Amino acid sequence: MARILAIFAFVLAAIAADQQTPPRAPDGHPDLQGIWSNATITPLERPSDLAGKQTLTPEEATVYEKQVVDRNNVDNNRKEKTERDVALAYNEVWYDRGTKVVTSRRTSLIVDPADGMIPALTPEAQKRVQETQTWIAEHATDGPEERSLAERCLVWRTAGPPMLPGPYNNNFQILQTRDQVVIFSEMIHDARVIPLGGSPHLASNMRQWIGDSRGHWERDTLVVDTTNFSGKYSLRGSDQNLRLTERFTRVSPDTLLYEFAVDDPTAFTRPWTVQIPVTKSQGPIYEYACHEGNYAMVDILAGARAAEKKTAK
Amino acid sequence: MRRNLAIAIASVGLLSSAAPVGAHHAFAAEFDATKPVKLKGVVTKMEWINPHAWIHIDVKNADGTVTNWMVEGGSPNTLLRNGFTKNSLPPGTEIVVDGYQSKDESNKMNGRDITFPDGRKLFVGSAGTGSPDSKSEK
Repeated sequence: MARILAIFAFVLAAIAADQQTPPRAPDGHPDLQGIWSNATITPLERPSDLAGKQTLTPEEATVYEKQVVDRNNVDNNRKEKTERDVALAYNEVWYDRGTKVVTSRRTSLIVDPADGMIPALTPEAQKRVQETQTWIAEHATDGPEERSLAERCLVWRTAGPPMLPGPYNNNFQILQTRDQVVIFSEMIHDARVIPLGGSPHLASNMRQWIGDSRGHWERDTLVVDTTNFSGKYSLRGSDQNLRLTERFTRVSPDTLLYEFAVDDPTAFTRPWTVQIPVTKSQGPIYEYACHEGNYAMVDILAGARAAEKKTAK
Repeated sequence: MRRNLAIAIASVGLLSSAAPVGAHHAFAAEFDATKPVKLKGVVTKMEWINPHAWIHIDVKNADGTVTNWMVEGGSPNTLLRNGFTKNSLPPGTEIVVDGYQSKDESNKMNGRDITFPDGRKLFVGSAGTGSPDSKSEK
């Protein structure tokens, strides 16, 4: 009898071990390849009405999800003839923000600091942001160069690094070889090629909008270190000194735990960390081809010129 | 100087990503809140393009003439993922569009609310709306 029980326990242990072992690439590292979705209604920062609460119970999560989905529904929240109504753009059918909180049921994607909020900006970063906002108020429609990088179809604020949920097209694809990993974000079109194997970063005078990413494996986790940012692509006030550390761990067949740590001592008063359990997507992932039909850029500037003509009369 | 300021504006655009919805571009910079428009027209073309789809409609004016309007929607990728295709809104379909005219006063508007004349919402999955279940529309 004892022998039968021992065999039974061994089989159970083997099954459990198999479930915890991620699929492997030919080189033995976990296979992270596939299309993944980071759509979630969990906000980056903890809402004020959930201050002090780290996680929701399953029951609370159900209620919260309904509240947020209703609140986000642009068709339910219209105040006609207001700037905000114009900013809401189009029917809810075009949006795809997700309807669920993250599987950890945390109330914010930020896990450090414990309050779930982005740390305060340094005084010099506050000054930079203030000067920028003042300048925008006066020059935002001078020409295409003054519009945001997103409107110019150059860089999308959630495409990464780091990758965050956005209003729609929350998908990215990972391609993996022994020597390189490629992360292709549906929004806005970026394919980030990440060399593995310990190659050094670019020289410090070489700066790029999305930085310079280098990866390596720490046991079963892919760690990607990104530096050499130009500062043009800013994460909530970050500057060219941003050092970003992303970690990708396939914690189950359908879940990729994506974490990133933000360290930018000239922009933030302390480092901060985000965790997003990302889910496997059936796909397909589509081309976005933002430049293809970016009529809005012409319309925005034409509108500004028309307003100037009226003022001149 | 201009280059530095361009860098700055990029930063603020990213800083303000907690905006209500986060469409690809600032619709409030393109369309005029003081010019609400409601039009009934017939689809002549659907531009199934990114960053935003554009629906072209012919609108009959009171004097019998016809004006072609362009209506801006969202990213077609979302609808493709839900099973719609570029043939889901064929020319000849009559629709009603509620939105705001562009600030340059050309015949462009955003598709803030798009319905069929009987009130059913466009692209929402009931029969006849171009939904994947509505094979006749595809």
